[in-house]
Amino acid sequence: MSLLSIRDLVVRFRTHDGTVYAVNGVSFDLDEGETLGLVGESGCGKSVTNLALMRLLPRPAGHIDGGKVVFGGEDLLTLDESEMRELRGKEIAMIFQDPMTSLNPVLTVQEQMVETIQAHRRVSKSEARARTLELLGMVGIPQPEARLKNFPHQFSGGMRQRVMIAMALALEPKLLIADEPTTALDVTIQAQVLELLSRLAAEHGTAVILITHDLGVVAGMTQRINVMYAGYIVEAATTKDLFARPRHPYTVGLLHSIPRLDAQPGEPLIPIEGAPPDLRYAPVGCPFAPRCAWRVDRCWQEMPSLEPIDPGYEVVTTGPQATHRAACWNPPMSGEVVAAHPLRPGFEPAAPPAQVGS
Amino acid sequence: MTDMTPQTVVPAAGVPGQTADVEAGSSSVRPLVEISDLRMFFPITQGILISRHVGDVRAVDGISLSIQRGETVGLVGESGCGKSTVGRTILRLYQPTGGRIVFDGQDITTAGGASLRAVRRRMQMIFQDPYASLNPRMTAEGIVSEPLEIHGVGVKSERHQRVRDLLATVGLDPSYGDRFPHEFSGGQRQRIGVARALALHPDLIVADEPISALDVSIQAQIINLLERLQGEFGLTYLFIAHDLSVVRHISDRIAVMYLGRIVETAGSRELYERPLHPYAVALLSAVPIPDPSVEGRRRRIILTGDVPSPSNPPSGCHFHTRCWLRERLGNPDRCVAEDPALRPMSSGHEVACHFAEEVDGSAEQVQVTGRSPGAGGVAAAAGPAAPAPYAPSGSPPRPRDRH
Repeated sequence: MSLLSIRDLVVRFRTHDGTVYAVNGVSFDLDEGETLGLVGESGCGKSVTNLALMRLLPRPAGHIDGGKVVFGGEDLLTLDESEMRELRGKEIAMIFQDPMTSLNPVLTVQEQMVETIQAHRRVSKSEARARTLELLGMVGIPQPEARLKNFPHQFSGGMRQRVMIAMALALEPKLLIADEPTTALDVTIQAQVLELLSRLAAEHGTAVILITHDLGVVAGMTQRINVMYAGYIVEAATTKDLFARPRHPYTVGLLHSIPRLDAQPGEPLIPIEGAPPDLRYAPVGCPFAPRCAWRVDRCWQEMPSLEPIDPGYEVVTTGPQATHRAACWNPPMSGEVVAAHPLRPGFEPAAPPAQVGS
Repeated sequence: MTDMTPQTVVPAAGVPGQTADVEAGSSSVRPLVEISDLRMFFPITQGILISRHVGDVRAVDGISLSIQRGETVGLVGESGCGKSTVGRTILRLYQPTGGRIVFDGQDITTAGGASLRAVRRRMQMIFQDPYASLNPRMTAEGIVSEPLEIHGVGVKSERHQRVRDLLATVGLDPSYGDRFPHEFSGGQRQRIGVARALALHPDLIVADEPISALDVSIQAQIINLLERLQGEFGLTYLFIAHDLSVVRHISDRIAVMYLGRIVETAGSRELYERPLHPYAVALLSAVPIPDPSVEGRRRRIILTGDVPSPSNPPSGCHFHTRCWLRERLGNPDRCVAEDPALRPMSSGHEVACHFAEEVDGSAEQVQVTGRSPGAGGVAAAAGPAAPAPYAPSGSPPRPRDRH
């Protein structure tokens, strides 16, 4: 049985501007010790999915409108707040993009780390302090003893993120959710932090969900990837398969639109035209259809489900043999993946239907 | 950092019909921008009533750079290295502490009043955050038209028409002119920022992280727009960014900055195929590549520690506290004692490192560039190995075309 199993998760925000359709039925599994990347641009629902599973959606706007989140055999959505609090930090820990806003600025690092440990473990203050020291050393903070009494603002961005990682791993959680952990950092510091994160996760056997918009980061860090767009998972595959044989037009578009350090000079970028959809409108059909060069009539009406790209096999959702799945009515063929546009003679993207539903 | 011979003379892009009044007859060899030994220090003061000057943040600490007409120069480095300050100082948004800025033959280091206004018209800026850089209470037309009004260009109806043309040029529907910034998406807002920068037919555009705040799927749209406009209007770009992949894509020449200094400058291709400064090598190795097979082979040079404070930079070579090469060479004293100047290594390739020769051909350099050891010479490096399956493999390196 997998460590985490999310089924048909639906999250809505009720705001003054109306309902925001943030997550529209997301399902995925995660095994112990696995590293999964959730990739997508801002607003695609990748962070909201994880806030929902931690039951940390902003209230009162955020609502889980359906689905199940089974972690270690328990449906987290049925737990009460005190049971959830017991679980957060101890079983599932989270690190965020901006360590400055997630650390308490008026407490020293020692105070907040001891507090975290003592909240979940019956240990004396000196034991908790010893553990703190050990953790800071583990994440590579120089002279940890001298740094214990420092406040978060006395650390640099990279060091703060190390403190966050130390805190997240303090209680040896089974699952670590890292939400854009290096986006605020410089590239050389990003390399330090990513290396630390993958080394520690491997040493402790911690499963990791890495949320990022950076395909480069997931390429080196993860075993599997879910690509998200407008609240849906549109493609799921092992990292190797996803980059070798991208099948969803959005994934194909993303790979063509980012300049690569090792690209041939002068190679043009092929952007994805248009902009992501406004999530204040209920999704009709595939949300990527307006930007898609492969769209057919059906795309405007019906969202395809996530199906294996090679039919006929049993679907495996986790591990290195995970089935490559994509949610697309008319996936690009391999030559088209290279060309980034349809090559079928006479193919025209389907025009939007006139006046849908009105 | 004294001799400023132009390294690559980029043929001046013909500027048909544009900006005719000001630089008629200007030489095509003379760089559009030439800065020498530029220094920009921000004072640190203490005390409330009597403020005492206790130090300086040496944001830009003696850099020299020339930008040819029609060229794109990329300025890369980590946050706090002074790259944005260079851009702003060139536009004279700051009064430099020292050094010289020459714009199209005119020394503007201390220019003020009318002469500065006249020059400012010819240089514009595109900012990082399209949410913060547009006035939320002005319509798109008002925003794009403002530079025209400030410089008294045309009458109202002419300006209106010009704004419509500009919006169309940057790929927006001209009828969107009466909308407010919040009605646009991030990418569209950045297009408005680009239209505003184009309004006065500038020669130079300083683009300070113009795509960093945009969604991944939008970034390529803006990069392609900037490239197209450069071809159409013969623009010169100073492209400031921390993302080396983007800078490599758009730039003809790249300057790598570290703690207020330029540590290496080279043609874009040369820099990525033969980086010679230990910092440049480390920077390149740190960039993740969206291809698991490449990532699996690569070994990162993990720089220890953080960038030191620019108010108290290390002695000698600023990079010596984090340098992987210095460690290998047994920590020579020269790095601590002597500040390395930029020295030419090959045509158009300058590096500020006492031991740059040791970098050339080192395992680290080979790792980063994918160049086979002993291949020597840049021409032999035919580019990185193993293009990803989705990349058009086998396509020969093409000259950059801008259409």
